[in-house]
Amino acid sequence: MAELTVIGKPVTRVDVNEKVTGEAIYGYDLVLPNMLYGKTLFSLKAHARIKNINTEKAKKLPGVVTVVTAEDAPWTHGESIKDKPFLAQGKVRYIGEPVAAVAAEDEDIAQAAVKLIEVEYEDLPVYTEPEEACKPGCVAIHEDFAKYRKVDFIVGSHLPNVAEHFKLRTGDVEIGFKQSDLVVEERYFVPIIQHAAMEPHSAHAQFDKESGRLTIWVANDAPFRALHEITESLNMPKEKIRFINPLQGGGFGSKGGLKVEPIAVALAFHTNGRPVRVKFNREETFISTLTRHEAVVYCKSGVKKDGTLMAREMTIYWGAGAYAEKSPTVCIRGSLPAPGPYRIPHVKVDGYAVYTNKPVAGSYRGYGIPQGAWACEQQMDEIAKRLGMDPVEIRMKNIFVEGDVSYWGERLHAVGLKETLIKATEAVDWGKATEAPRPGVKIGKGFACIQKPTRSPTTSNAGVMVNSKGEVTVLAGTVEIGQGCNTILSQVAAEELKVPMEKVFMHPLDTDIIPYDASTTSSRSTYHMGNAVRRAAIHARQQITEAAGPMLEANVQDLDFGDGKVFLKDQPQMALPIGEVVKRKLGINGIVRGDGSYTYEIGKDLDLETGHSDHASAFYMYATQAAEVAVDEESGRVRLLRMSAAHDVGKAINPLNCVAQIEGGVAMGIGSALHEEMVVDKTGKVRNPSFLDYHLVTSLDVPKMIPIIVECPEPEGPYGAKGLGEPGLAPTPAAIGNAVADALGVRVYDLPLKPENVYWAIQNKRKKDAA
Amino acid sequence: MKKKIQLTLNGKSTSIEVPNHRLLLDLLRDEIGLTGTKEGCGTGDCGACTVYLNGKPVNSCLVLSGELDGADIVTIEGLKIGPELHPVQKAFIQDGGAQCGYCTPGMLMMSKALLDENPNPTEEEIRYALSGNLCRCTGYAKIIQAVQDAAVMIRNKHVQ
Repeated sequence: MAELTVIGKPVTRVDVNEKVTGEAIYGYDLVLPNMLYGKTLFSLKAHARIKNINTEKAKKLPGVVTVVTAEDAPWTHGESIKDKPFLAQGKVRYIGEPVAAVAAEDEDIAQAAVKLIEVEYEDLPVYTEPEEACKPGCVAIHEDFAKYRKVDFIVGSHLPNVAEHFKLRTGDVEIGFKQSDLVVEERYFVPIIQHAAMEPHSAHAQFDKESGRLTIWVANDAPFRALHEITESLNMPKEKIRFINPLQGGGFGSKGGLKVEPIAVALAFHTNGRPVRVKFNREETFISTLTRHEAVVYCKSGVKKDGTLMAREMTIYWGAGAYAEKSPTVCIRGSLPAPGPYRIPHVKVDGYAVYTNKPVAGSYRGYGIPQGAWACEQQMDEIAKRLGMDPVEIRMKNIFVEGDVSYWGERLHAVGLKETLIKATEAVDWGKATEAPRPGVKIGKGFACIQKPTRSPTTSNAGVMVNSKGEVTVLAGTVEIGQGCNTILSQVAAEELKVPMEKVFMHPLDTDIIPYDASTTSSRSTYHMGNAVRRAAIHARQQITEAAGPMLEANVQDLDFGDGKVFLKDQPQMALPIGEVVKRKLGINGIVRGDGSYTYEIGKDLDLETGHSDHASAFYMYATQAAEVAVDEESGRVRLLRMSAAHDVGKAINPLNCVAQIEGGVAMGIGSALHEEMVVDKTGKVRNPSFLDYHLVTSLDVPKMIPIIVECPEPEGPYGAKGLGEPGLAPTPAAIGNAVADALGVRVYDLPLKPENVYWAIQNKRKKDAA
Repeated sequence: MKKKIQLTLNGKSTSIEVPNHRLLLDLLRDEIGLTGTKEGCGTGDCGACTVYLNGKPVNSCLVLSGELDGADIVTIEGLKIGPELHPVQKAFIQDGGAQCGYCTPGMLMMSKALLDENPNPTEEEIRYALSGNLCRCTGYAKIIQAVQDAAVMIRNKHVQ
């Protein structure tokens, strides 16, 4: 490979200037001319029939332009299962479900009008526990489940309230357990948490009657998928719908799919062409957008005396909340690798996505991996303890290495897991004891490993345009959600065209102009869109090369690119700026456009009966994180002393950005490990929908972090790159959980590791020991 | 009830008629059109809306417009020193202190407030000063680094 000029360098973010000056316009900031203000009425009942909605008083309030209910917007949507109404239809299924909406001349009037809407409910049984909601005899939260439109991998279940049942069947676990010397079995629990992106949710919509076009301005991380979903719901031609992405203030999975969009769309059809803005405040964002799945995980493992894993059986209840959203695919892609990155001959997994009367769960950075890892990685340590082995030793004996065939039947390559394990544990001086600062405080170390697939097969397309000034514009549908894609993709274009970074611009995202991309999810962008932009840039370069040949009186194969110029390899002084080539060929307004596309062609869906696929993911991400904790035995308070995080990224296109992703992921993981939980009571009400009561990590909670980049190149990836966004938080809670168990000799099975959970685990052990 | 108030906003005198109950945050964003100040929670818990009010950093979502007659307000749009970026802005750029950038204006205002009072803060002092400003992207590591580097820039400038 020719020497790389900008790939692999810690380039400064291309979008940072506007962010430090306040000039950046986010979705929440956007003001449209002549815009109306929307407000939403949310359900106060977790499960109830709507007997009557009276909007008359609200409609009469001066300044109110329209009040809409399901009668005005009789549509449903959903990525896999079309179960979610734009506005509640006939019944409500969670507290926070949008029931009606108002558009008015200002926000105050809209809010006042919402308060005038009267709704009569008739209560139905409320289910808040996923394990309970799927017991035979439960009332169906979705009576018409069988009638909903669904994608073909929804297999259904004989159990009530199950949106999806994933099955993995490899070998025979009963034989595996019989052949084992030790069998360990336990129940683990992961509570509901929320993304809590700093920018709350909002959407703007406008319907132009004359052209019949619907335009939606929203910070959505998958505008093409959202467009498709709206198209299907409204039965409108795709050309009539346009998504424009303002800047997004974080997402972490919460801003894909449709959240505020349906409300804005429902209103926009009744405002006589005026645009309408619907903003959710923080409380509304908490209760009415998206959460991460709570999960009850039963894990049973069989192992030989020497530590060889023989069998693992897992049953996972994923709490989907009131609507399916992305639960079916979280259930599938979270359950599949839940048994961990290990060679296991006998594996059985049953994953159930279960409807409850709680806020809707969906994609969340990590897509089901953290929940599986919380169980599996703690069980690995428990097994090691009972066998008298070091936790590193038992992993080394079983972890995936190059060429292994996974338990779902895929031969693995580019496996950097072992290196991450070695480096992460070394970074916390594994094996060396740290002295406790005072009596009553116990110090412990622990670590956890993960493997994460990416959504496959998917497609990314890109365009790269070069103008007569030598400026390069990249057209890519990847959404800048803070992860740094605009910088990474600019680097790719700059590298292939050998132009300085300041000559590269990212085109704003508009589905009318930008070519199709699947989504900015699943850590897929660097790999998929990186490949597409690279191909587009190479295509542009070819065209410039062909044009430059005659201009420089040279054969095209004798030409090279560098410093924004095309030149003769043998006589570098014989050169033309690439912009000059474009100008001579096409004139001063000419543009050379290269196009590129990437699809993971051999990707195959999982077999519905066995969960097997020989190409389940375009690539896999591997990571190990290690923690050192100090636990106060009297209060149960866990304090993190240091945390290492070694991630196999394939190739670090921008090491600064990789470190930023790792640190941010670890911090998020720490929050989910130590204190984050959305508390939902038995009536289905969220008790802590604010940043006062929902404890995000602050600058005081984050310890010394040791980010480590491991590069085990993925041959298909651009320059060898894989992905990185999601794994940052996936092993964190399990690593901390193992460290706490190491410190105390007591294991805590329920997240978060808040003082009371740890305290009671200690007390229970003391009681047991005394008895 | 609307009230006419006189303000100094980013060094310029301005008068505006505004309902008493309008929050300073909404006054800035919706009535004046300065959207650099961000709304993260509206309840004073996240710090994204931090501005300077009479020389002190405040959560602008907790201030009512009715109290503002005669106030001196500086927002992120007024942080530059002439045409030049303030050292905290430069350091955030250089060190990767911003990712999605939504908390950044509030972080910068609070960082400047810290450095105005304490030009040589320890890491612990920085962590404490920023503990009311939530960030979901960075894990704070690069932000803390940036404040340290900004402190060096400011001190060096004073030495010169």
